[in-house]
This record gives sequence, structure tokens and C-alpha cells, in this order.
Amino acid sequence: MRILRHALARCRALVRRDAVAGEIRDEMQFHLLMRAEEYERQGLRADDARRAASRRFGNLALMQDRGYDVRGGGLMETILQDVRYGVRLLLKHRAFSVVAILTLAIGIGVSTALFSVVDAALLRPLPYPHPEELVGVTIRETHFGRAGWYAPSIADVRAWRESGRIFSHVGAGRVTGFLPRVVEAGQAERLVVGEVSEDFLEIFGVTPLLGRGIQIEDTREGAALVALLGHGYWQRRFGGTPDVIGRVIRIAGAPATIVGVLPAGFYRETAIWQPQQIPASGTNRRGSGTAVEGRLRPGVTLAQAERELTDLTRRTAPGPAEAPDVRVTLESMYDLETSGSGKTITPLACAVSLILVIACVNVAGLLLARGATREPELAIRAAIGAGRARLVRQLLTESLILASAGGLVGLILAWTSLDALVAIIPMSLPSNSPATVNMKVLGFATILSVVSSVVFGLVPALRMSRAWMGSQLAIAGRRHGSALSRRGGRLLIATEVALAVVLLTGAGLMVRSFARLTGVDVGFDPSAVVTMEVEPLDPAPAVLEQYYPALLSAVRTMPEVAAAGAVDYLPLRDGSRVTFAKGSGQTNFNMRQVLPGYFEAIGLPLKRGRFPTESDRTGAERVVLINEEAARLLFPDGSPVGRFLETVRELPRRIIGVVGNVRHSGPLRPPRPEVYLLYGQIAPLNPLRIVFRPRSSAVLSGDRLRQMAQAVGPKVLIGRIRSGTDDLGESVVTPRRRTQLLGLLGGLGMLLTLVGIFSVTAYAVARRTQEIGIRMAFGAGYADVVRTMVRDAAWPVVLGLSAGMAGAFFATRVIASFLFETTPHDPATFAAVAVLMGAAALVAAWVPARRAARVDPVIALRAE
Amino acid sequence: MPKTNSDQLHGTLDMLVLKTLQTGRLHGYAIAIRLEHLSNEVLKVEEGSLYPALYRMEARGWLSSEWGMTETARRARFYKLTRQGRAQLEAETESWTRLTAAVQSVLAS
Repeated sequence: MRILRHALARCRALVRRDAVAGEIRDEMQFHLLMRAEEYERQGLRADDARRAASRRFGNLALMQDRGYDVRGGGLMETILQDVRYGVRLLLKHRAFSVVAILTLAIGIGVSTALFSVVDAALLRPLPYPHPEELVGVTIRETHFGRAGWYAPSIADVRAWRESGRIFSHVGAGRVTGFLPRVVEAGQAERLVVGEVSEDFLEIFGVTPLLGRGIQIEDTREGAALVALLGHGYWQRRFGGTPDVIGRVIRIAGAPATIVGVLPAGFYRETAIWQPQQIPASGTNRRGSGTAVEGRLRPGVTLAQAERELTDLTRRTAPGPAEAPDVRVTLESMYDLETSGSGKTITPLACAVSLILVIACVNVAGLLLARGATREPELAIRAAIGAGRARLVRQLLTESLILASAGGLVGLILAWTSLDALVAIIPMSLPSNSPATVNMKVLGFATILSVVSSVVFGLVPALRMSRAWMGSQLAIAGRRHGSALSRRGGRLLIATEVALAVVLLTGAGLMVRSFARLTGVDVGFDPSAVVTMEVEPLDPAPAVLEQYYPALLSAVRTMPEVAAAGAVDYLPLRDGSRVTFAKGSGQTNFNMRQVLPGYFEAIGLPLKRGRFPTESDRTGAERVVLINEEAARLLFPDGSPVGRFLETVRELPRRIIGVVGNVRHSGPLRPPRPEVYLLYGQIAPLNPLRIVFRPRSSAVLSGDRLRQMAQAVGPKVLIGRIRSGTDDLGESVVTPRRRTQLLGLLGGLGMLLTLVGIFSVTAYAVARRTQEIGIRMAFGAGYADVVRTMVRDAAWPVVLGLSAGMAGAFFATRVIASFLFETTPHDPATFAAVAVLMGAAALVAAWVPARRAARVDPVIALRAE
Repeated sequence: MPKTNSDQLHGTLDMLVLKTLQTGRLHGYAIAIRLEHLSNEVLKVEEGSLYPALYRMEARGWLSSEWGMTETARRARFYKLTRQGRAQLEAETESWTRLTAAVQSVLAS
């Protein structure tokens, strides 16, 4: 309030009201004086002369006012007046103001929050100098007889860098590592360790805060291990002390010397950065999966760079046989970073705009309804000389005040809910560009407020100013339902219902699709298993191979445990190692390491052959299990049991069993061919996850499990212990978030619409009190009156429902790619939405209508 | 661009005021006297309404004004034509002449 008053004072000083008014007064006084003197010269007495001059001049005050208006002071003055008046009006009609402001706040708030995300994801996704020079590099070539895009080898990268023509910096990096590693710095924890080549940080213009970066010597095989600390980890573990340089920490059991600290804001999740050490034999290997990125020299275009790099790579190829096929492909990092964002943002932006429009329509309805009760006021204003433009200006000023208040509350809403939105939004935001409420977002909210004030304010303002310019003064003060505003109200209801139906249909389809998704059989029952992450601090193969079987024998003695096993990559949670099986064509196979007992524990059914035993694992023959999908691909014509599986890099193994399929990557993905190798029969050994199947109704104690894991022998790090249900939930987290978000927006849209229907009906009831009284006096019953009022609202609802259905039929296309085994025109969803929206709309009309029927006819008639 | 006034009465007053200022700068009262004389007291509007008209014309850029002293050493606000004002006067005069000629030919026939 103080700020507002201050602003008003400033405006007044700005127009120098007194100075202007003073000049006008002086000028007119001079005129009167001269005229009076003239009359005196003609012989009138002094006071007669003054009176005559004054008569001749006309209405002095009016002329001063008109003059003031013309001289520009007037406009500012009337605006201030209108603002003051508008604020007073809002304070007087609290209920109206609260509903209108909250409605607008929701519309503007959700739009602004989404805009912050758009800003972070699309407008400034790469917060580095000259982001347009940044590119991702891949090589297209034929590998194992398959043409595809592969990551360039480190030898490629170095050749390009040495040529110096295309890149100012180029390097390879895995910024979030592959799997978290056990890091010991005082205390052991599993951390994200990034692995990068030399010249990688330089691409992004990142220079260490302390110490040095990663040099080419650090990446040589056998070089002393070094590490750079991420800013967050440095603060958390070392209290931000500068003397960390030179200290030694253990990463996956190996000692590494800290040589630098990175500045804040660069891949926050990555705690430690290490040089990627590549053995001399591997420098030419392409397709390692480590992304290669580079910064083009200023002025170098993508096409030019691709051409030159391809030439260069063909010239320097080690064997001429591979050369002709090689093609270097560049993609701008902006495209890489933002690809896919649009797919998520488009439907959200559509939904959010619909909500904003519903909010505006809602407020327009409120304004029209209230306009009815302002008939007398506006009529009187018009009668004493306010022009139509003046009335429209006044009404629009009021809308602007409303929108500003709504925008302000909406901004607070957006600001407070932004973290929640970022947490739930089903897309990955750029790692180094967090969504914030910045000046751009503030500007967006301001523009949105102004635009919406015109959208919701103009139609009511034009209607009201026209409607009451005529002979309405004669009936000023009488309340009656003018057909005009009723028609306006109906149109608004229909519009709102239609928009809400579109939103709800989208939300409904998502819910239905999600239900189908969670109903999918993933191949086992996740709710029947519990998993534990545990890892010896010393990752030596001898330790691992000894530890896990020992732990399994120990937990099998627990009476609560029905079965226990172990696997390196858990279904629904982890990734996969892949291999190519001979004879399987283009499809690669997921490859896992298991300890006997795994299949019983997780609950994958045996289809043929037998489950592995401990003696298989230690036996001389290498054996393997495959799943039905792999069996179908490899041996379409007979039982695979007893035959051999050959992969491109491993020795042949005898197949001892076939197990059921599993949707390893969650219900969204179909089952893939799986190959299960026995732990110890393949190098390198991966750390394992323990899988328990508790006896039905038994509860596994996490503390007991932790104790047992520690009691086996070597020092271990214990991670999460969780139920398979949690993993299932996480595997569908993106669809669930989409469903939640669109569901939330659909719900908001419906809520706003119901508020709109309620308020329009309530006003209609209030204005028709007299008519209702007459009806009741003539014998209409309670039910008749309610029916009349509800029927009034019912037609626009039906109209809105049909228009909404038609709109949804086309609009749901934007979410078609999100739907799982559900068509965007799913009839059941459309029907459900129609019933839900129709019923809710009638209730929203029925509640105020009931009030109409309670009117006492005597009072109603006296309301005249 | 000089524009002809659609509202003929307003336009007439504007034109007459511009005319009075053709010979030099005048204050409001002098303009009123001049109007009275020029029109042989046929045009008798409320004198006060002259001022909003002056301000309007000033806002349109036809007139400029400044405070000055009269011969009797009184402080008064003086108006004079701008270039735009002169152009406007010419345009108004021409359209007026055409209108009156037309009316006259109708009346004479």
C-alpha cells in the first residue's frame, strides 16, 4: 500500500498539477480583469463590471477544468482517479476480488512457471561463452558389419586437434561417469565420477578454481592417477579449504592425487573428475560410448567442418580397408541439448494456455455479472457527461488493476512452485542451466498480465459502456435479467466448458494410458522382491568373487528369506551391457552376470533346461542361460538347451536353460534378448546387487541385512535397500510425471470452469430474484425454480461439451506419442470426460440455483 | 498534414482564431476582442471557451505560447502561429471558401 501511495505521489509531481492549473487560472484571471476594466471604462461600477465580465466569460470553473483536461494534465489525473476508484472498488467487493485475482493468479502463475522452464531449457540451455560454436561429434562407419554412428576414438580426437583447422578445443568426456564409484576421502561413499580427456573442460571455457586441469600426460596408461573435485563435493567433504591440492583419495580402491577444484555450476552432480586413461591398444577404438565434443573455430560452419574432418579422418585412417566408409557427423550442441524438450513442452504449453484462457473467460464472466449490478453507477456517469471512451477507459483500468494483482500473486505462485515443477517435469533440463525467476520471466509475467487484462476486460467494457449509454437511467437501480448479459454469460459458460473438456480429455487419456502401462507384466512380480546394493571397497576380482557367494550363503540361513541371488544389472533399474550373438543379425543382446539363485529369487520362470547351480559356476565348462526372446532369435527351429552360444568377443558357452522374458527397461519397452553368464566366468567382474525373495508375509529387516553384509569379511559400502515396487515405479517415472502434470492442469482447468459456472449462475439468480418471486407467487414450486435455473445453465454446458469433444478430437494429437496402447481418440475416455464434466457443471449450477428457490416471494417482490 | 475539421463549429472558431493571429502574437483577451471586431459582434460565444480551444490548438502544434508583458505592464500569455498553424489556416480557408461558394450557388439558383 505504501509503495502504491508513493507511486501516486510521483505521478502527481510528474505532471506538476498545481503549476499547470495555476497557469490556467492566471491566464483566465487576466482575461476577466481586462474585460472588467473595459466595462468600467464604459461606465459600469467596479463590482457590476466584474459581474458582467464574469457573465461574458461563462462558467469559470468548467473552463478551467476543460483547459486542464486539454493541457494533458487531465489524462494523468483521470487515470489516477480511475486507479484509486478501481482499488477502492476491489477492496469493497472482497469476494469478487479474491475469486478474480486467484483465478488470474492460477492462469498467470502456471504460465509463468512453465515459461521459466522454457527459458532454461530452450532459450539459454548452454550457459557458456559462444554456445553456437559447440558441437557433438560422431563418426558413421561400419562396425561388426553394421553401419552406425559411433563415438570417435581418442586417436581421431587428437588428430583433429593437432590439425588445428576446425576445432579450437576438442575432447571426449563422460560427464556423469558410467556407474557411481566408491570414493574414500575420510569416509567411503558412492559418487558420480566424470571421466574426461585432456582439453575437454576447455571446450566449455571452464578453468579450475584451484590447481590445474587435466593434461594429456594424465590420460596415458599407467600415469599417476589424478582427480579434480567438483565444487559441491569440495565444499561438502573438504569444507572448501584450498589446501586439498596434493591430498590423496581412493577412487574404486585406487589412490588418486587431487590436482584441482572446478568452479561451481558445472555439472553439479559430478563430484569428481578424472582423466580417462585409455590403454595404448585402445586409442584407435571407436564406439567406446564416451561422447566427443568440440568448439569450432569462429566462422567455421558445420558443413565445412564435417567435410574437412571427414577428409582428414580418411587420410589418417590406419587401415585403408576401413577408410572409404568413414564419415564425420557434427550436431550443434544446442540441438542435442534441446531435442526432445519440444515434445514435452508443446502439450504442457497448450494445456497452460488453455488454463490461462479459461481464467480470462472466467474473470470476463465475473466482470459482466458484476457489470449488471453497476448499471446505475455507469448510467449516472454517462448522464453527467462521461463519454463512451471515458467509461471504457475506466473499466479497462479496473481490469488492469485486477490483472496486476493477479499477476503479482501468480508470480509468487510461480516462484514458490518452480522447484516442485522442475522436480516433476517429465524432461531433463540442461545440467548447467537451472530454471529461475529472472528478469526475462518477470517481463513475461508482466506482458501476460497486461494482455490478459485486455482479453478479459475489453468485451465486458465495450458491452457495459454501450448497454448503459442509452435510456438506462430511467430504470437505474432496478435489477432485472437483461437478455443481453444472459446471452453473454451463456457464451462464457460454453467456452469454458469446451476448453476444460479439451484439457480433461488430455489428462484422461494420460491416466488411462498410465493404467495400461502399470498393468503390463514385466516378467516377474516386483512387489515380491527386495534388493540391496552392496560393494566391497576393494574391487579386486578375488575379493568380489569370494564376497558375494559368501554373503548369499549367509542370508539364505535367515528364516525370512525364501530365495536369494545376485545380478550385476537389476531389471527396471539399471542399464545393460550388450553383446552381439553370432547368428542373431542386427539385434544386440543384453548380457548379465548372475550368481546361482538369482532366477528363483527374482521370480523368472524356467521354460526349458535347468537353473544354474553353484557347481556350474565353479565347474570347468562355461555355461549360459538365455531368455525366450533370445531363444526365438537364435534357434527358431528347436530347443537351444545343450547347444552353444557364440558372441563376438566371448568364447562359446553351452546353453543349460531358457528362462522367461523380462522387460528390463520397464513396461514401456518390449522384452529384449537376454544372456545370463555365471559370475566368475567372464571378465571384468562387476559389483553385484543382491536380490531377496522374502517368505510371504515375512518382513525383512534392513538393519539385519546390513549387519550380515558387513559381517561377511571385507569392508563394504552398503547402498539402498529397496522393494522391487519402487524400481517398477521409477521405471515409469516419466510417464507418471506426465500423467500427474497433465492431470493437475486438467483438474485446475475444471476447477476454474466450475467456479465460472457457479459465479455466472449465482449472479443470474441474484438478478432474477424479482422474477423468481413472481413465479413463486403464482405458484411455482421449489423444484420448478431450481429446474428453471439449472436448465438455463444446462444448454451452454451441453454446447460446450460438444464443442470441447470436437476440439479434443484434434487437440489430443499433441500427446499421441506419450500414449501407451491408447489411441488419442479413446471413446471410453471421451465418454468419461463428458459425463464427469457435465455432472460437475450441473452441480456447480445447482448449488446457487437452490438458493434462488429459497427466496421468499414477499421479499423478492419488495426488492423492486 | 493540415486536416479539415469535421465539426464545422469547432473548425470555424479554430479558423477565426488562427486568422486573428496571422498578423502577429496576441494574448487571449486580445484574441477575444479581435474576434469580436472581425465578426462585427455576430459571433458571440462564451469568451471562456476560447481558452480550451487555444490549448487544443497548441497541443496540435498549430500555436505556440509564452508568458510576456502587455503594454500596461501586466503578465499575460501570448500566442502566435507556428508553421503548421499557417498551413492549417490556409487549408481551412480554402475549404471554407469552397463550402461557402457551393452554398451560395445553391442559394442563388
